[in-house]
Amino acid sequence: MQSRFYLSLLLISSLVLIAFMGIAFNREMNPEWKKYQTEYKDFLVKNAKDASTRQRAERIQIGMQQIYIKSLERSDRCMSCHRGVENPLMAEAEQPHRQHSGNYLENHPIAKFGCTVCHRGQDRATNMREAHGEEHTHWDFPIIPSKYIQGSCAQCHDYEMLRQEGGEKVARGEELFRQKGCQGCHKIGGKGGDLGKDIAGIGSRPFAYFSMKHVVGDHNLYNWVKQHFDDPRAIVPESEMRVFLTDEEAELLTTYMMTFVTAEMPRNYTLIKNVIQPKIDGESLYKMYCIACHSDGRVSLYDEIFKRTIPAIRNPAFTRSIDDEHLRTIIKEGRKGTQMTAWKVSAAGLTDADINKIIMYITMNRPEKKPEPFGFLKYKADVRHGEELYNIRCEFCHGAEGKGGEGFLGINLRNPAVQKADPEFLAITVRDGREGTPMVSFGMKGLKLDNQDIADMVAYVKTLSQKK
Amino acid sequence: MSNSTQTGLGKYKENLLSIKKSFLGSFLRSGMPTSDKSRTAVVVNNFFLHLHGAKTHTNTLKPSYTLGLGLISFFLLVIAFISGGFLMVYYSPSIGTAFNAVKDINFVVISGKLMRNIHKWSGEAMIIFVLLHMARVVYTNSYKRGREFNWVIGVVLLILTFVLNLTGYMLPWDQLSYWALVIVSNIAAAPKELTDIFGITQYFDIGGATKEVLLGGTAPGQNSLTRVYLLHIILLPLGICTALGVHFWRVRKDGGLSKPDIVGDRETGVAFISPPQKTGGIFPTHKTYGLMELARGRTPAVDNDVENTVTSWPNLFVAEIAVFIFTLAGVIAYSYFIDAPLKEFANAAIPENPAKAPWYFLGLQELVSYSAFMGGQGLPGLAIAGLLLIPYLDREQEHFGIWFSNRQGRMVAIESFIVGAAAVIGSLAFVINFGWFRNWWPKIHQLWIIAINPGNLLLGFVVAYSLFVIKRTGSTRMGAISLFTMFLVCYVILTYTGTVLRGPNWEFYWSASQWPIH
Repeated sequence: MQSRFYLSLLLISSLVLIAFMGIAFNREMNPEWKKYQTEYKDFLVKNAKDASTRQRAERIQIGMQQIYIKSLERSDRCMSCHRGVENPLMAEAEQPHRQHSGNYLENHPIAKFGCTVCHRGQDRATNMREAHGEEHTHWDFPIIPSKYIQGSCAQCHDYEMLRQEGGEKVARGEELFRQKGCQGCHKIGGKGGDLGKDIAGIGSRPFAYFSMKHVVGDHNLYNWVKQHFDDPRAIVPESEMRVFLTDEEAELLTTYMMTFVTAEMPRNYTLIKNVIQPKIDGESLYKMYCIACHSDGRVSLYDEIFKRTIPAIRNPAFTRSIDDEHLRTIIKEGRKGTQMTAWKVSAAGLTDADINKIIMYITMNRPEKKPEPFGFLKYKADVRHGEELYNIRCEFCHGAEGKGGEGFLGINLRNPAVQKADPEFLAITVRDGREGTPMVSFGMKGLKLDNQDIADMVAYVKTLSQKK
Repeated sequence: MSNSTQTGLGKYKENLLSIKKSFLGSFLRSGMPTSDKSRTAVVVNNFFLHLHGAKTHTNTLKPSYTLGLGLISFFLLVIAFISGGFLMVYYSPSIGTAFNAVKDINFVVISGKLMRNIHKWSGEAMIIFVLLHMARVVYTNSYKRGREFNWVIGVVLLILTFVLNLTGYMLPWDQLSYWALVIVSNIAAAPKELTDIFGITQYFDIGGATKEVLLGGTAPGQNSLTRVYLLHIILLPLGICTALGVHFWRVRKDGGLSKPDIVGDRETGVAFISPPQKTGGIFPTHKTYGLMELARGRTPAVDNDVENTVTSWPNLFVAEIAVFIFTLAGVIAYSYFIDAPLKEFANAAIPENPAKAPWYFLGLQELVSYSAFMGGQGLPGLAIAGLLLIPYLDREQEHFGIWFSNRQGRMVAIESFIVGAAAVIGSLAFVINFGWFRNWWPKIHQLWIIAINPGNLLLGFVVAYSLFVIKRTGSTRMGAISLFTMFLVCYVILTYTGTVLRGPNWEFYWSASQWPIH
């Protein structure tokens, strides 16, 4: 008789060990893909039309499939489950057996391109959960939903070709990107404002860059970008982004965002048919860089996010009273203390020619009739009287001592664009008001101040820059 | 007569036919053991078995005495070695290929994922079982009577276990590896905190130099991986094998496992040993005399009776095999269900937040959050020194081999457990609610924080309390029980805090679900 305690421990442990070796072996011998390949093979054998096809179907070897593409550094094992991807018989089949849709594979042979270069997902994984890169699989680029997949096409193709040949979604996304003024705040290729985050490479940015706390549904890059377009502040509470998009537009722009990837495709993969850039006129430039804040520029609006009024820069009342030179200074240098970016080539990257085009577009509707001259120099201005008047008349909107800022309707009067402006221009503005803005006329047509009072006020405003 | 008449071919044929018998005979030498003499011969004649005594004391076989903890630790190491050899076939230590190699081990190597899990979990289980084994040794008062230095080797083995685990953690070159390497190299550079204060960093930058030696540069990269790999697969395994060899050898030289001076008769004949099978041998039942009993000296076996011993074959070996299969089954079952983590590819631009070291170092990281130098090097150094000193500061020879020595010991252990837990939880609660010097006086000199921080105070309290126990009970043995209990409690609670209760920016959260990100 042997030791009962140790013998029973040995017996029970051995049974547990054998059991686990058994189920581990079973799991090892029956990977997920084996089931799908068997289904695929059975389907082909069953639906074979004649003896030779049946024989061919029966000869299919079940085993792990891999496409190794050296130049793309990928080992795509997707076909371990999706074996029917090239088989026309599988056109109607359920996933994972279905044939690839469209005629994409004709021009993109799987042996050269593999799968993940377009669809993303984890190339080396051999089970669905990890291959598709679902949540909590620690894979930064889960499989890309089909509604955004055209973003992958732009890795190799130009937008003109995509527009005509099956990439219309991403091409429209690119168009929208230019029309919605995204570059007003986001710099792309050295051009654009810097209010917004850098979006270069956003399509290939690791998961950990994004705060996923408020994302609804799966936590991944695509949902983050889409939902951020829907409502930026729902995803990033402190965001100042101004977007007004329909659901469809948000989807198109999300698709376009997926084209911003850091890795470049090898040259023998790219196909650029149209090298000629579309001609960009003043209107397009205005849309690219200005429209996000200034909208169509006809009316000025108090913006809840910026906490200030955004001037109506295409309103005749504005364009009439400002000359091109003054406009150019503002555009090139920006307005310090506001969200207005300095657009000169060394800052936001616009060339003088571009700026001229924008100015031409802004002043397109400038009335022929110049405002009646004020003749500021004729008046002997009394600054103290101007200050009294300012405190009564102007402070409510422009803030104490012209500081303006958050919560005030009026602009900050201390900024260089005002302080360096011609007093004549300021006096005309006060006298006639600004159509399309809350700035009303203070002259005889409006609040009945005489020219002397206006001159006093302007003189006072001009002293503001010296105050603390 | 028959031999001489045989032809050469006849002899050849006979040898050929008896090959099974002669091979087994050459392998086992003394054949299947049927007598105490042949059972002894099995042990003595076998390379692997002769580390054991021919006879084993029944107390050694008593499961409730050893709990099998040392054996389990050793078998975990064996399992880790074997599975590690398997993984080495596929792994390649380059930052360009390591991550993909691990992915392939997970995805395409047959049983690769299971092997990786086994390797990972057996290694990490070692930490737990080595600590438990140490606890057994302390609580059964077994670090005495010649075993003092073996305790020192045991502490060295504990450190090697930690470092082996840590270096293995860095090999997959994922985000976990990378940021653990960053944290560890920063801990290595912790003396900078001290040299900065004295303004001697530019002449004597011991912290920076250590960090550079560890990383093979100033930031983690290929050189670091090469070094970590070298440590993990050659230097540390060689070290642990050597230390383990000495550890076992000394156990044998010290007369086997510790045991009480008096083992009652009721201890014999219980379920875990077999009654003697007297079918051979020359000596009467239970009696075997070896050279040990004839020699003079302080070797514990000398002058001791050989009562209550049984032959190692089969009693001890059945027990060992049972524990081995038990360990293996446990590791495989755990590995079947729980996968070893593998995060995204290492990315220096995306710090993990919180960037955490592996769990077994998170107690240290908690201390590091007070002071890099004290938490990373000062306090663990002192704690290890304290562990090493236990057998030299407690030299009371009574109650050897008895769990908790006596009733008083049991009370002291329970009491120290409660007091230690209260102290560590109290200090953590204080820091979490009220902050520390840096929060109160932002401009305070760092020296003050190095000198006075919750970690130091905790260590001071633990030492003071065990001295108080010695004074109160008049027994250094009680002090040792108290000190070790509180060390263990502090380690467990600090580790738990660092693992579960600390979130992004090392802020306090009750659970990870409350973290503000993702």
